[in-house]
Amino acid sequence: MRETADISRRSFFTRALAGVAGVVAILAGDRPATALGVPSGPPQGDDEPPEQVKRVLEARFGKRPIRKGHVQLDIPEEAPDGRVVPLFIETDLPMTPAEYVKGVHIVVDHNPDIYLAGFQLTPALGAASIDTRIKMRRTSYVRAIAETSRGELWYAASKVFVTLNGCG
Amino acid sequence: MSDAERRDVAGVGDAKILLPDAIKRGSLVHVRALISHPMDTGLFRTSAGEPIPAYFIKEVSVAYGDEQVARFEWTSGISRDPYVAFPIRATREAPLTITWKDNKGGVYTRTEQVRFG
Repeated sequence: MRETADISRRSFFTRALAGVAGVVAILAGDRPATALGVPSGPPQGDDEPPEQVKRVLEARFGKRPIRKGHVQLDIPEEAPDGRVVPLFIETDLPMTPAEYVKGVHIVVDHNPDIYLAGFQLTPALGAASIDTRIKMRRTSYVRAIAETSRGELWYAASKVFVTLNGCG
Repeated sequence: MSDAERRDVAGVGDAKILLPDAIKRGSLVHVRALISHPMDTGLFRTSAGEPIPAYFIKEVSVAYGDEQVARFEWTSGISRDPYVAFPIRATREAPLTITWKDNKGGVYTRTEQVRFG
Protein backbone atom coordinates (compact mmCIF):
# COMPACT_ATOMS: atom_id res chain seq x y z
CA MET A 1 0.00 0.00 0.00
CA ARG A 2 1.05 3.53 -0.69
CA GLU A 3 2.59 5.73 2.01
CA THR A 4 0.28 8.11 3.82
CA ALA A 5 0.04 11.16 1.63
CA ASP A 6 -1.54 14.39 2.70
CA ILE A 7 -3.75 15.54 -0.17
CA SER A 8 -2.27 18.99 -0.54
CA ARG A 9 1.25 17.62 -0.46
CA ARG A 10 0.34 15.03 -3.07
CA SER A 11 -1.12 17.72 -5.29
CA PHE A 12 1.96 19.84 -4.82
CA PHE A 13 4.30 17.06 -5.84
CA THR A 14 2.20 16.16 -8.84
CA ARG A 15 2.17 19.72 -10.07
CA ALA A 16 5.84 20.22 -9.30
CA LEU A 17 6.68 17.12 -11.33
CA ALA A 18 4.49 18.26 -14.20
CA GLY A 19 6.34 21.57 -14.15
CA VAL A 20 9.72 19.89 -14.22
CA ALA A 21 8.61 17.65 -17.08
CA GLY A 22 7.47 20.69 -19.03
CA VAL A 23 10.80 22.45 -18.54
CA VAL A 24 12.74 19.35 -19.55
CA ALA A 25 10.63 18.99 -22.68
CA ILE A 26 11.27 22.60 -23.65
CA LEU A 27 15.01 22.27 -23.05
CA ALA A 28 15.03 19.12 -25.14
CA GLY A 29 13.31 21.08 -27.88
CA ASP A 30 10.94 18.23 -28.64
CA ARG A 31 7.79 20.30 -28.72
CA PRO A 32 6.90 23.84 -29.60
CA ALA A 33 6.12 26.47 -26.99
CA THR A 34 3.32 28.97 -27.52
CA ALA A 35 3.99 32.48 -28.80
CA LEU A 36 4.44 33.63 -25.21
CA GLY A 37 6.98 30.92 -24.58
CA VAL A 38 4.61 29.19 -22.19
CA PRO A 39 4.15 25.46 -22.60
CA SER A 40 0.65 24.64 -23.81
CA GLY A 41 0.37 21.57 -21.60
CA PRO A 42 1.86 18.09 -21.74
CA PRO A 43 2.20 16.51 -25.16
CA GLN A 44 -1.12 14.97 -26.18
CA GLY A 45 -1.64 12.13 -28.57
CA ASP A 46 -4.87 11.80 -30.47
CA ASP A 47 -7.20 10.72 -27.68
CA GLU A 48 -10.36 10.77 -29.79
CA PRO A 49 -12.35 7.82 -28.42
CA PRO A 50 -12.95 4.82 -30.72
CA GLU A 51 -16.55 3.98 -31.71
CA GLN A 52 -17.19 1.41 -28.97
CA VAL A 53 -16.03 3.91 -26.35
CA LYS A 54 -18.19 6.66 -27.85
CA ARG A 55 -21.20 4.37 -27.48
CA VAL A 56 -20.41 3.73 -23.81
CA LEU A 57 -19.97 7.45 -23.16
CA GLU A 58 -23.18 8.32 -24.96
CA ALA A 59 -25.16 5.66 -23.07
CA ARG A 60 -24.06 7.21 -19.81
CA PHE A 61 -23.77 10.91 -20.56
CA GLY A 62 -26.01 11.39 -23.58
CA LYS A 63 -25.02 13.93 -26.19
CA ARG A 64 -23.45 16.35 -23.71
CA PRO A 65 -19.97 17.54 -24.73
CA ILE A 66 -17.06 16.14 -22.72
CA ARG A 67 -14.41 18.84 -22.65
CA LYS A 68 -10.75 18.57 -21.79
CA GLY A 69 -9.68 20.32 -18.60
CA HIS A 70 -10.21 20.69 -14.85
CA VAL A 71 -9.32 17.03 -14.33
CA GLN A 72 -5.90 15.73 -13.50
CA LEU A 73 -5.21 12.06 -14.12
CA ASP A 74 -2.06 10.74 -12.51
CA ILE A 75 -1.25 7.26 -13.87
CA PRO A 76 2.02 5.61 -14.93
CA GLU A 77 2.88 5.72 -18.64
CA GLU A 78 4.03 2.13 -18.45
CA ALA A 79 2.32 -0.65 -16.52
CA PRO A 80 4.35 -3.87 -16.62
CA ASP A 81 1.60 -5.65 -14.64
CA GLY A 82 -1.90 -4.90 -15.92
CA ARG A 83 -3.41 -6.44 -12.78
CA VAL A 84 -2.44 -3.45 -10.67
CA VAL A 85 -2.24 0.00 -12.19
CA PRO A 86 -2.39 2.79 -9.61
CA LEU A 87 -4.27 5.90 -10.56
CA PHE A 88 -5.09 9.20 -8.91
CA ILE A 89 -7.75 11.59 -10.15
CA GLU A 90 -8.33 15.08 -8.88
CA THR A 91 -10.12 18.16 -10.10
CA ASP A 92 -9.91 21.88 -9.47
CA LEU A 93 -13.68 22.23 -9.78
CA PRO A 94 -15.72 23.72 -6.91
CA MET A 95 -16.96 21.39 -4.18
CA THR A 96 -19.63 23.47 -2.44
CA PRO A 97 -23.34 22.75 -1.90
CA ALA A 98 -24.13 25.26 -4.68
CA GLU A 99 -21.84 23.64 -7.23
CA TYR A 100 -19.91 20.41 -6.89
CA VAL A 101 -18.47 17.38 -8.62
CA LYS A 102 -21.20 14.77 -8.37
CA GLY A 103 -19.35 12.02 -10.18
CA VAL A 104 -15.89 10.86 -11.20
CA HIS A 105 -15.78 8.14 -13.83
CA ILE A 106 -13.02 5.85 -15.10
CA VAL A 107 -13.16 4.60 -18.68
CA VAL A 108 -10.56 2.27 -20.24
CA ASP A 109 -10.86 1.98 -24.03
CA HIS A 110 -9.61 -1.60 -24.44
CA ASN A 111 -10.84 -3.29 -21.26
CA PRO A 112 -13.60 -5.95 -21.20
CA ASP A 113 -15.66 -3.46 -19.16
CA ILE A 114 -14.98 -0.15 -20.88
CA TYR A 115 -16.80 1.72 -18.11
CA LEU A 116 -14.61 0.61 -15.23
CA ALA A 117 -15.93 2.52 -12.23
CA GLY A 118 -18.00 5.48 -11.16
CA PHE A 119 -17.61 7.41 -7.93
CA GLN A 120 -20.63 9.44 -6.87
CA LEU A 121 -19.59 12.25 -4.59
CA THR A 122 -21.25 14.94 -2.47
CA PRO A 123 -20.05 18.34 -1.22
CA ALA A 124 -19.50 16.76 2.23
CA LEU A 125 -16.22 15.39 0.89
CA GLY A 126 -14.83 18.91 0.60
CA ALA A 127 -12.75 18.04 -2.49
CA ALA A 128 -13.06 15.72 -5.45
CA SER A 129 -10.22 13.25 -5.62
CA ILE A 130 -10.00 9.48 -5.93
CA ASP A 131 -7.04 7.21 -5.50
CA THR A 132 -7.39 3.54 -6.47
CA ARG A 133 -5.84 0.66 -8.45
CA ILE A 134 -7.27 -0.71 -11.67
CA LYS A 135 -6.75 -3.61 -14.06
CA MET A 136 -5.85 -3.18 -17.72
CA ARG A 137 -6.02 -5.76 -20.49
CA ARG A 138 -3.61 -4.10 -22.91
CA THR A 139 -2.14 -0.78 -23.96
CA SER A 140 -4.97 1.71 -23.98
CA TYR A 141 -6.16 5.18 -23.19
CA VAL A 142 -7.48 5.64 -19.68
CA ARG A 143 -10.03 8.43 -19.33
CA ALA A 144 -11.03 10.21 -16.14
CA ILE A 145 -14.28 12.14 -16.43
CA ALA A 146 -15.71 14.54 -13.87
CA GLU A 147 -19.41 15.37 -13.92
CA THR A 148 -20.57 18.51 -12.15
CA SER A 149 -23.88 19.11 -10.39
CA ARG A 150 -24.72 21.42 -13.30
CA GLY A 151 -24.23 18.56 -15.74
CA GLU A 152 -20.94 19.73 -17.23
CA LEU A 153 -18.45 17.03 -18.18
CA TRP A 154 -14.67 17.46 -18.06
CA TYR A 155 -11.96 14.91 -18.78
CA ALA A 156 -8.31 14.01 -18.89
CA ALA A 157 -6.91 11.05 -20.85
CA SER A 158 -3.61 9.27 -20.67
CA LYS A 159 -2.19 6.40 -22.70
CA VAL A 160 -0.80 3.56 -20.63
CA PHE A 161 1.51 0.92 -22.11
CA VAL A 162 0.62 -2.46 -20.62
CA THR A 163 2.79 -5.57 -20.74
CA LEU A 164 0.92 -8.22 -18.71
CA ASN A 165 -2.82 -8.61 -19.32
CA GLY A 166 -4.59 -8.05 -16.00
CA CYS A 167 -8.17 -8.78 -17.10
CA GLY A 168 -8.12 -12.19 -18.81
CA MET B 1 -2.33 -25.02 -2.94
CA SER B 2 -5.08 -24.71 -5.56
CA ASP B 3 -6.41 -21.33 -6.65
CA ALA B 4 -9.68 -22.06 -4.85
CA GLU B 5 -7.92 -22.84 -1.57
CA ARG B 6 -5.79 -19.76 -1.87
CA ARG B 7 -8.94 -17.67 -2.16
CA ASP B 8 -10.53 -19.34 0.86
CA VAL B 9 -7.66 -18.54 3.19
CA ALA B 10 -7.39 -14.97 1.94
CA GLY B 11 -10.26 -13.93 4.26
CA VAL B 12 -12.66 -12.43 1.75
CA GLY B 13 -14.27 -9.35 3.22
CA ASP B 14 -11.56 -8.48 5.75
CA ALA B 15 -11.67 -4.71 5.60
CA LYS B 16 -9.88 -1.76 7.06
CA ILE B 17 -10.50 1.98 7.17
CA LEU B 18 -7.47 4.14 7.87
CA LEU B 19 -7.88 7.65 9.23
CA PRO B 20 -5.11 10.04 10.30
CA ASP B 21 -4.30 10.05 14.03
CA ALA B 22 -4.90 13.73 14.65
CA ILE B 23 -7.96 15.20 12.97
CA LYS B 24 -8.71 18.91 13.24
CA ARG B 25 -12.27 20.17 13.04
CA GLY B 26 -13.01 21.41 9.55
CA SER B 27 -9.92 19.90 7.99
CA LEU B 28 -9.80 17.77 4.86
CA VAL B 29 -9.15 14.21 5.99
CA HIS B 30 -7.58 11.57 3.77
CA VAL B 31 -9.63 8.37 4.14
CA ARG B 32 -8.10 5.11 2.95
CA ALA B 33 -10.11 1.91 2.69
CA LEU B 34 -8.97 -1.62 1.91
CA ILE B 35 -10.86 -4.88 1.60
CA SER B 36 -9.74 -8.42 0.83
CA HIS B 37 -11.58 -9.63 -2.23
CA PRO B 38 -10.48 -11.68 -5.28
CA MET B 39 -12.20 -9.35 -7.80
CA ASP B 40 -12.35 -12.17 -10.35
CA THR B 41 -13.28 -10.96 -13.83
CA GLY B 42 -14.75 -14.31 -14.91
CA LEU B 43 -12.27 -14.40 -17.80
CA PHE B 44 -9.47 -16.42 -16.20
CA ARG B 45 -9.14 -20.18 -15.61
CA THR B 46 -7.47 -22.12 -12.82
CA SER B 47 -4.24 -23.98 -13.53
CA ALA B 48 -6.48 -27.10 -13.91
CA GLY B 49 -8.43 -25.34 -16.70
CA GLU B 50 -11.60 -24.67 -14.70
CA PRO B 51 -13.19 -21.28 -15.38
CA ILE B 52 -13.09 -18.92 -12.41
CA PRO B 53 -16.53 -17.24 -12.19
CA ALA B 54 -16.85 -13.48 -11.87
CA TYR B 55 -16.70 -12.49 -8.19
CA PHE B 56 -16.20 -8.84 -7.41
CA ILE B 57 -17.26 -5.86 -5.28
CA LYS B 58 -19.86 -3.96 -7.29
CA GLU B 59 -20.94 -1.25 -4.88
CA VAL B 60 -19.38 0.72 -2.04
CA SER B 61 -21.22 3.22 0.10
CA VAL B 62 -19.75 5.71 2.52
CA ALA B 63 -21.75 7.17 5.39
CA TYR B 64 -20.56 9.95 7.72
CA GLY B 65 -22.89 10.11 10.70
CA ASP B 66 -26.39 9.78 9.25
CA GLU B 67 -25.42 11.16 5.87
CA GLN B 68 -24.49 9.11 2.83
CA VAL B 69 -21.58 11.08 1.43
CA ALA B 70 -20.39 8.88 -1.44
CA ARG B 71 -21.31 5.82 -3.43
CA PHE B 72 -19.00 3.93 -5.74
CA GLU B 73 -20.07 1.70 -8.62
CA TRP B 74 -17.38 -0.82 -9.49
CA THR B 75 -16.73 -3.57 -12.02
CA SER B 76 -14.16 -6.36 -11.81
CA GLY B 77 -11.77 -3.86 -13.42
CA ILE B 78 -10.83 -2.66 -9.93
CA SER B 79 -7.73 -4.57 -8.77
CA ARG B 80 -7.80 -7.54 -6.38
CA ASP B 81 -8.05 -6.50 -2.71
CA PRO B 82 -9.54 -3.13 -3.65
CA TYR B 83 -7.98 0.01 -2.29
CA VAL B 84 -9.65 3.37 -2.51
CA ALA B 85 -8.74 6.70 -0.94
CA PHE B 86 -10.79 9.88 -0.93
CA PRO B 87 -11.11 13.07 1.11
CA ILE B 88 -13.77 14.00 3.61
CA ARG B 89 -14.39 17.32 5.34
CA ALA B 90 -14.26 16.64 9.10
CA THR B 91 -17.11 18.91 10.17
CA ARG B 92 -18.08 16.86 13.24
CA GLU B 93 -17.20 13.88 15.40
CA ALA B 94 -19.23 11.01 13.97
CA PRO B 95 -18.80 7.43 12.80
CA LEU B 96 -17.54 6.87 9.27
CA THR B 97 -19.03 3.66 7.90
CA ILE B 98 -18.08 1.99 4.64
CA THR B 99 -20.15 -0.88 3.21
CA TRP B 100 -18.89 -3.04 0.37
CA LYS B 101 -21.30 -5.29 -1.56
CA ASP B 102 -20.24 -8.00 -3.99
CA ASN B 103 -22.03 -9.66 -6.93
CA LYS B 104 -22.74 -12.83 -4.90
CA GLY B 105 -24.62 -11.07 -2.12
CA GLY B 106 -21.69 -10.60 0.24
CA VAL B 107 -21.96 -7.45 2.38
CA TYR B 108 -19.01 -6.22 4.41
CA THR B 109 -19.07 -3.23 6.74
CA ARG B 110 -16.46 -1.32 8.75
CA THR B 111 -16.81 1.73 10.95
CA GLU B 112 -14.18 4.12 12.27
CA GLN B 113 -14.84 7.10 14.51
CA VAL B 114 -13.90 10.55 13.30
CA ARG B 115 -12.55 12.07 16.51
CA PHE B 116 -10.90 15.43 16.90
CA GLY B 117 -7.48 15.45 18.51
